[in-house]
Amino acid sequence: MTTSIRIWNNRTLIYLRDLLHELVGRDLKLRYKRSVLGIIWSLISPLTQLLIFTFLFNKVVPLNIPNYTTFVFSGVLAWTWFQTSLLMGTTVIVDNRDLIRRPGFPAAVLPAVTVTTNLIHYVLALPVLLVFLLLDGGRITPAFLVLPLILVIQFLFTLSLVYIVAALHVTFRDVQHILGIALILLFYLTPVFYRANAVPEEYQMIYQLNPLAHLLDAYRTLLIMGQWPDPVPLALISGATVVLFGIGYNIFTRANDHFAEEL
Amino acid sequence: MDAVITVDNLSKRFRRRNANQPTTLKELALKGLRGLRAEYFWGLRDLSFRITAGRTVGIIGQNGAGKSTLLRMIGGVGKPDRGSVRTEGRISALLDLGAGFHPELTGRENVYIAGVIAGLTRAEISERFEAMVSFAELEDFIDNPFRTYSSGMQMRLAFAVAAHTDPQILIIDEVLAVGDIAFQRKCLQRIAQFKAEGCTIVLVSHEPALIRELCDEVLWLRSGQLVAHGAADVVVGQYVAEMTAETRRRTPRLRPNRQLASGAELELNTNRFGSMEAEITEVRLLDAHGLPLADMESGDTLRVLIDYASSQPIPAPILSVSISREDGLVCYDTHTAVSGIETTMLAGQKSAILHIDRLDLVGGLYYVDVGIHEQNWQYSYDYHWHVYPLTVHASGTGKGILHAPHQWEVETVQPDRIVIY
Repeated sequence: MTTSIRIWNNRTLIYLRDLLHELVGRDLKLRYKRSVLGIIWSLISPLTQLLIFTFLFNKVVPLNIPNYTTFVFSGVLAWTWFQTSLLMGTTVIVDNRDLIRRPGFPAAVLPAVTVTTNLIHYVLALPVLLVFLLLDGGRITPAFLVLPLILVIQFLFTLSLVYIVAALHVTFRDVQHILGIALILLFYLTPVFYRANAVPEEYQMIYQLNPLAHLLDAYRTLLIMGQWPDPVPLALISGATVVLFGIGYNIFTRANDHFAEEL
Repeated sequence: MDAVITVDNLSKRFRRRNANQPTTLKELALKGLRGLRAEYFWGLRDLSFRITAGRTVGIIGQNGAGKSTLLRMIGGVGKPDRGSVRTEGRISALLDLGAGFHPELTGRENVYIAGVIAGLTRAEISERFEAMVSFAELEDFIDNPFRTYSSGMQMRLAFAVAAHTDPQILIIDEVLAVGDIAFQRKCLQRIAQFKAEGCTIVLVSHEPALIRELCDEVLWLRSGQLVAHGAADVVVGQYVAEMTAETRRRTPRLRPNRQLASGAELELNTNRFGSMEAEITEVRLLDAHGLPLADMESGDTLRVLIDYASSQPIPAPILSVSISREDGLVCYDTHTAVSGIETTMLAGQKSAILHIDRLDLVGGLYYVDVGIHEQNWQYSYDYHWHVYPLTVHASGTGKGILHAPHQWEVETVQPDRIVIY
């Protein structure tokens, strides 16, 4: 009895991994099929942003942030992962109606597919970031070993939010538009192209409560300064992310019972 | 035997889609929470039944009776509002065959994606890959993009993947209504094989004949409630009888009889049945050259020309032609749905011709019965029964129905002593 349960669990895990693998593979293949530049396309948008920000804040309004290229690029890449996952994830249930209506299909895998696909774009862009880093005079240190941990935290944080918006979007089809506006707002409230400590004291609260600000801070501490990031905010965000994930997943699975009829 | 599917007091309700229901957060904000109060209707009401392992069970009923909902609830899609559905064993589904297939990807890539969607792991797919591809007869095309496949090839590949899962419970929703005859036969063979392997099968179909042929037992649903559950022959018979009664009930009482060119008279409820929403205005039996005929040689070509009309738009009606003996035995029967012909919206006048290349019937008097029916066979619009006579001449046959083209080859042993002049 016990062994049969273990085997079952084991197969379920392998199955979920394979399902994720194939669906992420499908997303990637579809994006790059019949395009000469292939994977480079996913870099064009962050590189364009990088160009704009370095010009603006090095030449026009100098912010005097050391290693500004690496600073901005690390922020832009992490933000792009977050933003694109949320925007694509909103419609992931509505867009996969035929899968949702299939008996036995685990709908909860779909938001994870979106966040994973965008994680892969992020990871593929990391070598470019390293090149900028080395050109800026940075170096690779043991602190880089924390990077996967930060990626996991950002993954779960993003996925929790995608669960919520994807479930909401099934019933309220304007979530997509509202989210678009919310993300613009959040972009400027997140220190992507500036430093949080440049913000006046009375507004610091916003940054203290913004998990993305802490994540970006951690990325930059280890990438640019080559130091271990401050464990206290990371631990707090991890805790908050676990709670948020519980809430998001719960909302999603409750709504899941009605997806098939709402679509 | 143990029940593998146990349904107890299952009820499922749906939100009625009305204009007041907010579909955006903006509307919700404007209307307030009042807007969330929804109207519900019961899609399934208080169903209870048990299905034991290895049985093939059909679900029949009209559109909107809750057949597909029940099928999906058995498959675990959606949650009962009351009661419960319990199943034991791995469930696989033959529905939405194309789910997950993408035109831009190759056949091979699609097989893997459709395979995991159908519940297989990658290792299991690799193991079965060759078998799937050869089942679909697509060995030479498997690395071409899916969009370059004909629709028949696409369907074959999709079915091949589904056919190579090893379910303990298989649920099937109308998939057999697609594809060409050869493909349908292959599907039916595979389903028979699943059955032989001891798989429990639950299927939905509009075709009473198919249900009767495949199923051991039948669930009949009407407006979400279980009307009957029992042996296939009995329940299907009951269902068909009620549908015919429905046609009769819809037949308008006052309608002047109509005289045909042949002298026969069309009289409602005698040799003409239906709701008359669409009418068959003319039926002509023609030979190979398009000339009218009333009698023919067995083995010759017969064409049946049907003119039909309707004053109101009627979605995709089904046309049927059958040839029956005077005693009512149907010798030949075909209709547009079984032939895979998509008829279009009917409004105004239309006509259709059925070409029968060879009509190999034994000699005698037959009738060509012609009908036009609602797109899901729910009732007939107009059905002419034993109105158009056809005499077939045949020589050299005795009893039976079929006059197959034939010749005798008999080894004749000539006795030596007898010489016949």
